[in-house]
Amino acid sequence: MQPSAKVHLYDFSVRSNEAVGRDVFRMVMESPELAGELAPGQFMNIAVPGDASHIVRIPLSFAGADAGAGTIELVYAAVGEGTRRLSRMGAGSGSTVVGPCGNGWRVAPGGRALAVAGGVGAPPVIAAARALVAAGRDVDVILGAQTKDRLWGEKDAHDLGASDVVVTTDDGSYGRRGFTTQAMEDLLAQRDYDLVVTCGPSVMMAGVARLAEAAHVACQASLERMMTCGFGACSTCNVAMRAGGYKSCCMDGPVFDAEEVAW
Amino acid sequence: MVSKVSMAVDLGGIRMKNPVNTASGTFGNGWQFEGFYDVGELGAITTKGCAAKAWDGNPAPRMCELPSGIMNSVGLQNPGVSAFVASYGEYLAGLERRGCRVICQVAGHSVEEYVRALELFEELAPFASGFEINISCPNVSKGGAAMGATPAAAAEVMAAVRPVTKRPIVVKMAPHDVGEIARALEAEGADALSLINTIPGMAIDVRTRKSKLSRPTAGVSGPAIHAIAVRMVWEAHKAVDIPLCGIGGVTSGEDAAEFILAGATAVSVGTANLVDPTAAPRVERELEAWAESQGVSDINELIGAFEC
Repeated sequence: MQPSAKVHLYDFSVRSNEAVGRDVFRMVMESPELAGELAPGQFMNIAVPGDASHIVRIPLSFAGADAGAGTIELVYAAVGEGTRRLSRMGAGSGSTVVGPCGNGWRVAPGGRALAVAGGVGAPPVIAAARALVAAGRDVDVILGAQTKDRLWGEKDAHDLGASDVVVTTDDGSYGRRGFTTQAMEDLLAQRDYDLVVTCGPSVMMAGVARLAEAAHVACQASLERMMTCGFGACSTCNVAMRAGGYKSCCMDGPVFDAEEVAW
Repeated sequence: MVSKVSMAVDLGGIRMKNPVNTASGTFGNGWQFEGFYDVGELGAITTKGCAAKAWDGNPAPRMCELPSGIMNSVGLQNPGVSAFVASYGEYLAGLERRGCRVICQVAGHSVEEYVRALELFEELAPFASGFEINISCPNVSKGGAAMGATPAAAAEVMAAVRPVTKRPIVVKMAPHDVGEIARALEAEGADALSLINTIPGMAIDVRTRKSKLSRPTAGVSGPAIHAIAVRMVWEAHKAVDIPLCGIGGVTSGEDAAEFILAGATAVSVGTANLVDPTAAPRVERELEAWAESQGVSDINELIGAFEC
């Protein structure tokens, strides 16, 4: 089989870019061709202008893509120099984006699904939940954040038609106090699921993966790695596999079967 | 616009239609870039380093950003020559037919492993126009940079691989003692030299006191090392007569032109491929425009034309 390349370089312009929480921003970008190509769980690699000494692109997943409007919705945390620079891009400014990168969620009809998100892992999880509802599944969503002001996605979870939405905060400033995994244990005890999807801090996803495996429920996890190109050219985004060796986060992932991954 | 300048160059028997090559490890095996442009337009590509048997490479994290560059510790992850050819041989043979020279990079932990890997390439990769022996990877514990650390060690590898193939052999050099090591490699029959590989560096997370990558040291690349690379190409140019491929922080035609003036016959685009996937053909266009602005009819007139 001949290898093929599906990733392209596109221009984008910013329609809006505003804070929606503490260090959490929501950007709507216009990039009509890319908006028509992206599948939930895939990601893009964005060149953020403003500092020529920072050459690496910013890989980001997305919360929603509207092929009709030609727009993509990003929700991201301004945690490093690059994402802080991204947060300063104003409406009308533009740059280039590489995408669509990687493989998204594997969405198929089935039974009840549970979507578990931590922090800024929420955007791809919201995209997954929307796709799973569209595939005819009942979907429950657990959203966790450190604090209330860092939480994003609750309204989106309700709007997409989630059956149940559970919010946790580490400090108890909103919703249930504690971690998403504690809420997940309770839901697993109450209901039968046949799929879990998750994205968030690695330690959280490892916990989610363990709980899903113990309950014999399939689990897909969207992983994050330090990443350079995003399209399989540099081999820097390796993910250790339980069976030994590595897979590439940008080419084999970012969505992996959780039981494959050496957490 | 039809260029008035002849851009074809000969890198030690690898006849390239223009001087632009790609640095191994920054270009996958070529096909990843077909969604961005016609890779067949490049002078050559150099494939990811490949050993006789598969290597896992280093644990994560393998990359961190630095001012005007990156540092990587991939550790030559590769599937082994047989699997490499099975996966990409058909594509690479097609790329050769499209006029882009394919240079396959050869990795090893020991002299014997380089010989074995090159023997496999010689047998399984008839499409390759030449081979690049990587004796300068800073990210592996055995072999890699140690194999090219001294003139004697470099000469030993070169003497051992020379009888394996009649096709051109390029040797990728580490960023130190380039004059002496270049002379040793030339004496053992190297057809061309490529330099520089990444420069060993460190990045420490001062909060945890640990390396930002999975190993204490890793290789620095990108615009940050360009000036150092130009100086080393100039040193090698003064030391040997075989052609050179300049590598290090090329992001524009101007960067490439500096290498040509310092004595390089060809130029590889490396880290820039990862941040601007269309960098290599743009560098070629800009290099061609520069050559034309210099009033020459052949880019070869500009090789080593640095005035001092």
